[in-house]
Amino acid sequence: MSKLREPREVIREEPLMHAPILAAVADGPLTVPQIAECVNAPTQEVVYWVMGMRRYGLLVESKEADDDGYFSYCAPGWQAPQEEGDES
Amino acid sequence: MIDTDVECAPGQLVESTGGDADNTHYDVLVVGSGIGGMESSIKLADMGYKVLLVEKEASVGGRMILLSKVFPTLDCASCISGPKMSSTINHPNITTMTLSEVAGIERDGDGFIATVDQKPKFVDWAACTGCDVCQKVCTVAVPDQFNADLAARRAAYIAFPQAVPKKAVLERAGTSPCIGACPAGIKAHGYVSLVRAGKDEEAFQLVLDATPLVGTLGRACYAPCEADCTRAKLEGPIPIRLLKRYAADQHYATVGSPDGPVVRVSPPNGKKIAVVGSGPAGLTAAWQLARRGYAVTILEKRDKPGGYLRYAIPSYRLPNEVVDADIANLTSLGVEIVCNTAVDDPAGLTGQGYDAVIVATGTQKATLMDVPGEDADGSMVGLDLLAQVAGGNAPDFTGRRVVVVGGGNVAMDVARVSRRLGAAEVKVAYRRTKDEMPAHQVEAADAAAEGVAFEFLVAPAGVVAQDGHVVGLRVQTMQLGEPDASGRRSPQPVPGAQHVIDADLVISAVGLAVDPAPFAGLADNRGRISVDPKTLQTSIPHLFAAGDVTVGATDITQAVGSGRRAAHMVHRWLKGQSLDGFTALDDRLETISSDAVLARQKAFGHRLPIRGEVTLASQPSDFTEVEAPLTPQDAKAGAGSCLDCGVCSECQECFNNCPAWAIRMDQKGETKKFSVGAVVVATGHKLFAADLKPEYGFGQFPNVITGMQMDRLLAPTRPFNAVLRPGDAKMPERIAYVSCTGSRDKTVGNPLCSKFCCMYSLKQNQLIMGALPLADVTMHYIDIRAAGKRYEEFYTQGKDMGAQYIKGRVAEITQQDNGDLTLRYEDIDNGGAIAESSYDLVVLAVGIRPNRDVEKLFKDVTLSQDEYFYVAEPSAELSPGATTIPGVFVAGTAAGAKDIVDTILHAGAAVAQVAAHLHHHFTQEVTA
Repeated sequence: MSKLREPREVIREEPLMHAPILAAVADGPLTVPQIAECVNAPTQEVVYWVMGMRRYGLLVESKEADDDGYFSYCAPGWQAPQEEGDES
Repeated sequence: MIDTDVECAPGQLVESTGGDADNTHYDVLVVGSGIGGMESSIKLADMGYKVLLVEKEASVGGRMILLSKVFPTLDCASCISGPKMSSTINHPNITTMTLSEVAGIERDGDGFIATVDQKPKFVDWAACTGCDVCQKVCTVAVPDQFNADLAARRAAYIAFPQAVPKKAVLERAGTSPCIGACPAGIKAHGYVSLVRAGKDEEAFQLVLDATPLVGTLGRACYAPCEADCTRAKLEGPIPIRLLKRYAADQHYATVGSPDGPVVRVSPPNGKKIAVVGSGPAGLTAAWQLARRGYAVTILEKRDKPGGYLRYAIPSYRLPNEVVDADIANLTSLGVEIVCNTAVDDPAGLTGQGYDAVIVATGTQKATLMDVPGEDADGSMVGLDLLAQVAGGNAPDFTGRRVVVVGGGNVAMDVARVSRRLGAAEVKVAYRRTKDEMPAHQVEAADAAAEGVAFEFLVAPAGVVAQDGHVVGLRVQTMQLGEPDASGRRSPQPVPGAQHVIDADLVISAVGLAVDPAPFAGLADNRGRISVDPKTLQTSIPHLFAAGDVTVGATDITQAVGSGRRAAHMVHRWLKGQSLDGFTALDDRLETISSDAVLARQKAFGHRLPIRGEVTLASQPSDFTEVEAPLTPQDAKAGAGSCLDCGVCSECQECFNNCPAWAIRMDQKGETKKFSVGAVVVATGHKLFAADLKPEYGFGQFPNVITGMQMDRLLAPTRPFNAVLRPGDAKMPERIAYVSCTGSRDKTVGNPLCSKFCCMYSLKQNQLIMGALPLADVTMHYIDIRAAGKRYEEFYTQGKDMGAQYIKGRVAEITQQDNGDLTLRYEDIDNGGAIAESSYDLVVLAVGIRPNRDVEKLFKDVTLSQDEYFYVAEPSAELSPGATTIPGVFVAGTAAGAKDIVDTILHAGAAVAQVAAHLHHHFTQEVTA
């Protein structure tokens, strides 16, 4: 984990991070560590951004956490693309 | 019960009328609306007393409403607090002032006079429906104090979901310095925050709200906003001007030529306005009036509109197509531009059906050097050269030696244009030194980079000619004397010191002046049209003037600001209104200081400044634009450096999207005085700042949090979607509590027990085990203080549920690579061994500190405090709630640590004391 920046400074960047984070989850829900890897930012900073985006309706979480204890986040209304030939 | 037949007097009981007939007199002032303040207010109001409740936040409820549950019953905190909040707000005998602070209380006979500052909310609460649209569109994110800084809220915010009243507020700390510095009143912070949020078109539209010249200002403005940018005190200013250009470029590249109005326009109002001159002031004035439904005609002397934007600023700085695109914004609204039309009697234009006229003809005349030989072939005026070039009639200077006389921006433009026309040598001759040059620093530097030479401390003495052709410029050597009216040291001739600078061309660029001919009767002694500087109205009521024609040569932004002002005043004059109310420039909030902004953070991360990329050739050969636009990545990075000085950026997104039209950016705060009979101080407490125990790592390790933060994570309105650790949003499985953080600890100056930390920790232990059934909870404690009805049973219940309790102080917390934490502690029950354990998350059970804001409440009397700075109760055993000031009472934790149950009890005691006091001092007196 990297040295913590002040919350105000991290939070101030949230609007700037909307687009990169939405781009990261465009193909499917990701956990915070996965998003952090995509946007090349520390996980604790991504938590601020993801939770801010979730609060104002830009992201939604998965119903259950994975086996490691992480929820996944994606844009509201995201649906997995149907497999070719899958008519269900 | 109460005698309601008595005459109303300060501090007197009044009947519960449900109204507020006399809104300056109250029986009781209650300061603070936490559970102690609400309880006091409701009880007193139920007894018939008229209560004024003052709360500094936007909602009543204090800290209790933010808790998850209460101990030992595990009742929902909201379920208990919510009805009390509602009763408080709706009680007919309680007047609540939220977002207000008591500025001072003074004695007034047996009662008091309280001064209350009501802060502006910038929202019309009567109209606000609490729908939260403003929050969703707001472009500024700040830490949410109602979520203990665990998450972000917006500058436009509703305090919390259960807020009472549930109304929005805009957090505005002042005008941001960039906005405050703009003479055009353009909301720089606003468009920067919009670009940061990816709202490039909205950023364009925000500038468009002020002027159609978005692309122009993005290139040719000298950006006073950047000079005042707080970030300049760190690594350098953010590229505010280039962000404006970025927004304009994005718009013009995407939208192209408008095929309809580019902004919303009021329906035609039947009035006609003539604007004389199409420079930045005239274009802006026309723009503003056209938006208001006026039929505007611009009358321009030259063959194309734009004034100096087209005919003086060279296209390598401001391409003509940018000027054309900006002017197309204007014509999209139906503004007619009539070129090749000189106006010699602007006041007489009413004879052509115009209802008002704005003169914006700028400074059209060049000041001459007034030296012998100035009429020689090869001696010319800089403005004429620039106009020639702009008009497509550029002369060929190939191989010529050029001397440009002057030190302003026009001189720099002339010098650089001369280089582009092929001049072999260009020298700027200026009578002062480089430091006194009026040209913008960057212009002089760019000129030098393009091969322009400078000779300072020389004034023109005569143009030297042979056979009628220029061969040189005789110059007088100068020295600097005392400062003149401009504040610059005045140039004085050195006697007998003259020499000749060899030249083929001498170009004068020594100054600009107004041509007063069209308004000779209205000109002042400097030839400028005489106007009231606030209203821009001349002595002829229907004739207004804007821009440089009123003040002499300035710059584009000042002209734009003046054009806006003139339009505003013309509009008001035509509506028969007083000529004032120009809020864009005259009535802004005070500009917040950079120091105040920088004081919000202890440290700032370094960010590489984003600067414009300028390509300068030592021998430029064409008029290609020299400055490159920002890339989208640079634009985002540049905007991302903004410090949000004023907090609210004035981006207008809330204003534009509020379905109730409730946003009131011009709302003002008010200071009110009230007469009250008694005062209840219910200001509560502060929480211990956990970073004062650095060995516990709060603020250093993300997975070390406070008890209040855990309560937020456990609350139904939690900031995360579950109980997650802040370091990586993982559900924690091993959670440790460290009790007595900041309590019973002389090393941090607080030997007192905070009384409720053990119990809230026990509460949270149980709630965590409910929320995270697989989690292990361990509490490191000194001793468990569970003194209260059913408290001990509550403790036992936690143990029975599986919580572990380890007696002994925690010495240190360290972080592992994966964000887990290692606690090093004393294990007293196992022989006092030093042990270490690993956890996912550590909760510091922080204690409380006195709220010393109470020290500022009273002006002419002293509210005594105990040795720990809580409000003193001289006879706490016999008269709980009574303070050292007769008529002043204290309720709740303002007097010392208490849990919720004890706070309510204490408030009840204070209420009884208040009732007795009022009865004794007022009811009897009036009845008698």
